[in-house]
Amino acid sequence: MIKIEELSKRYHDNIVLENVSLDINEGDVIGIIGPSGTGKSTLLRCIDQLEVPESGFISLGDKKIDLSKKNKKDIYEIRQNTGMVFQRFNLFEKKTVLENVMEGLIVVKNLPKEEARKIALEELKKVGMTAWANHYPKHMSGGQQQRVAIARALAMKPKLLLLDEPTSALDPELVGEVLDVIKEIAGKGFTMLLVSHEMSFVRNVSNRVIFLDKGHIVEDGTPAEVFDHPKNQRTKDFFAKMNLMNQPDYII
Amino acid sequence: MSNIFDFKLVFTQIPNLLLYLPITLELAIISMILGITLGLLLAIVKIREVPVLKQIATFFISLIRGTPILVQLYIAYFGIPMFFKWLNYQYGTDFKVADVSGFIYAVVALGINQSAYNAEFIRAALLSVGTGQIEAASSLGMTYFQALRRIILPEAITVALPSLGNSLISVIKGTSLAFTCAVVEMTAQGKIIGGRSYRYFEVYISLAIIYWVITIIIEQILKLIEKRLAIPDQVANYVPEDEVRA
Ligand SMILES: Nc1ncnc2c1ncn2[C@@H]1O[C@H](COP(=O)(O)OP(=O)(O)OP(=O)(O)O)[C@@H](O)[C@H]1O
Ligand SMILES: [Mg+2]
Repeated sequence: MIKIEELSKRYHDNIVLENVSLDINEGDVIGIIGPSGTGKSTLLRCIDQLEVPESGFISLGDKKIDLSKKNKKDIYEIRQNTGMVFQRFNLFEKKTVLENVMEGLIVVKNLPKEEARKIALEELKKVGMTAWANHYPKHMSGGQQQRVAIARALAMKPKLLLLDEPTSALDPELVGEVLDVIKEIAGKGFTMLLVSHEMSFVRNVSNRVIFLDKGHIVEDGTPAEVFDHPKNQRTKDFFAKMNLMNQPDYII
Repeated sequence: MSNIFDFKLVFTQIPNLLLYLPITLELAIISMILGITLGLLLAIVKIREVPVLKQIATFFISLIRGTPILVQLYIAYFGIPMFFKWLNYQYGTDFKVADVSGFIYAVVALGINQSAYNAEFIRAALLSVGTGQIEAASSLGMTYFQALRRIILPEAITVALPSLGNSLISVIKGTSLAFTCAVVEMTAQGKIIGGRSYRYFEVYISLAIIYWVITIIIEQILKLIEKRLAIPDQVANYVPEDEVRA
């Protein structure tokens, strides 16, 4: 459905992504894991055009966009088809929860206010935030803000939802409520790319897992394949380190 | 002279001066609108680093800030008509330079002067809005100008408000120089009144009181606006309409 080909991104001499290709099928929930600094965020940001890749192609259905020659229209087309959920929520501070979710519908989709309001309330209901519709971001906990941010992205009906560590800025006790929401939308067949350090959650919610290492996809398979039988040495080392860190304190 | 200082006159002539308050305010408000609009444009050009325009903006700001407003007013008053006369002469155009009132020159000079100062704090206010929100707007599919209008400006305005207030106060005081363009506003009228009675000192005291009161009023209005724009500390939960009816 959405196809990424030969995506490359560098910061000066630092090559962050090198010829990354990824075929995303409808309904795929792809977990992206990997060590810190390997380009997971950069990959999502390059797909959403928040970062400018040097080269690569993105195909939306039949249309193939050359990222090295794209124009403004291409960018808006890609962004209309993708939604982004950020680590730090990035809600609009001066707008209420309801206005946050309505914003894209009104400004980008040009929907009449009443219709936008209806859709926004539906989306807020899905993430259990209806009662908070009149509140402002500063009134809410991180978990609540993130649920609103998910509703805001979903309201635009993107073909692909990009989630960049949606729970890593949250206090531990708030992680669960956000993961529950993500799990629910994954169950509804939304296509998404999920970058997360919550390994058991990734394993649980994804139908496909990608291991990114130094700007390359070194592992791509079902959760069982990647987690239980990693082919690459880097992946094995990564899991070994993870396990070590996750051991209960009293053993140490 | 019976008394050196006519205390009563200070207050009794205030109504005479206030007759010219509308002109002072008109000058100030129109200059302010021009100053904010142009200042916003300059700020955007600098933030977006528009090639060529950015250099022009930097040069323009430096020039305006580096020259006295009195000189700028004189240049506007004498220079603009000269420029149009030259245009008429060179290109056979027919600008009616003589019909243009001094008011226009004063507003142009005051507005341009203000814009150079406004550009800096408007830029700082725009930059104070976190990139996160701007990225969120972009990822929804908004253009920069949509994000500017809907997301950046509403937040930046609260940051800029105190500086905007200072700017308005300074432009009101700046209008007292509009006599250079042959505009009779409050201060010029004061000079005329003073010239009649030779009670210059009293008239300047009266003017000082008026300007001071105006400034205090503006400060109070700003405080009110600031309160209105602030995010409320608490709001009631939302209750869906169908539940209200039930
Ligand atoms: N604006 C930038 N300028 C220079 N280098 C950058 C910039 N942004 C990211 N990088 C570099 O790109 C690399 C990949 O960063 P990225 O944020 O994509 O990693 P990540 O996999 O998301 O890591 P994490 O798990 O810590 O979030 C890092 O080495 C980082 O230092
Ligand atoms: Mg990251």
